[in-house]
Amino acid sequence: MTDLSTATATDVVVRMGELAASASAGDVLVCVGLGSCIGLALVCRRGGACGLAHIVLPESGGRTADRPAKFAEHAVPALIAALGPHGARPGCLDAILVGGAQMFSSSTGMEIGARNEEAVRAALVRAGIPVTATATAGSVGRTVRVHVATGTVTVREAGSKEVGLR
Amino acid sequence: MANARYSDLQLDALRELANIGSGTAGTALSSLLGCPIELSVPSASALELADAVEAAGEAGDVVWGVVVPVTGHVDATALLVIPEADAATICTMLGVDPDTDTGRSALGEIGNIMVSSYVGALATMTGFELDLRPPQSTRDMRGAVVSSVLASHSGEHELALVLDSELEVAGEACTLSFMLLPTPAGVAELLHRIGLGD
Repeated sequence: MTDLSTATATDVVVRMGELAASASAGDVLVCVGLGSCIGLALVCRRGGACGLAHIVLPESGGRTADRPAKFAEHAVPALIAALGPHGARPGCLDAILVGGAQMFSSSTGMEIGARNEEAVRAALVRAGIPVTATATAGSVGRTVRVHVATGTVTVREAGSKEVGLR
Repeated sequence: MANARYSDLQLDALRELANIGSGTAGTALSSLLGCPIELSVPSASALELADAVEAAGEAGDVVWGVVVPVTGHVDATALLVIPEADAATICTMLGVDPDTDTGRSALGEIGNIMVSSYVGALATMTGFELDLRPPQSTRDMRGAVVSSVLASHSGEHELALVLDSELEVAGEACTLSFMLLPTPAGVAELLHRIGLGD
């Protein structure tokens, strides 16, 4: 018998500053080539719903952005809100963080990755959501995939194999 | 609209600056590699961050990225993106192995020479004083390289001005993509200096 969840798998690419929530078993939420950005996956422990946000910067400094997930402080509540209609409550969510790397040395003033991770973690604490797995920091780019059918989260670095995080 | 912040006239003028800059950079690369370089007409566009990453090419592909921060009258980041196979071709032409420190520093040096020529031409035209910081090179996914440079620049701004030039090494299937990403304040300075400020 054909595994329909694989046969019909659709990549939903989540670009910089965007987020996606889904309860469709065929969906795979993807952030391709995260550098200093954070791919924040929220997965419902009871199954069914998953979300992914592609977070660019730590703080908005009070500014509004066209994109809901550009700033960490907006992205976490926005992703939780997007998961609501799919039946996922904050109390049943696990967070997985990917990215937050420093692609170039700090002399270029690009230590945004670490600040991104810090800000996302702080926003998750405020929302009461535990971080259960991470693939962050360092100086490598990463691609994260969230398989809605299984709640599996995988990460791949350039030139490496896909590794399971959850 | 993606281009709402700059008029067509302003974008045309910036494209012309990019044209002269990349022409000079192409000449420098040509004498370095000892073969002709073909230049495409550069593009100047104000793009949303996500669109700017997409415009750079397939995000998951592995590339060499060389970053040179530019400071002075205009703050900008120059980014040279070379697909992995093309970087290997260039290193072979230079007689170095791309997977060694020597190869890595050769690519950094190419970036440095191209950015100096580009920025030098820009400085001459506008009368700006511009300084370069040391180049840094990395081999990683294109999306990770381009998005990290854009993120470090964007701050409150939704749009990034991207001056993009393609250079092709004649006779080799080898393309380099050269991007100048000025900060929004830097763009305003540039436009003001060429008489097209707001």
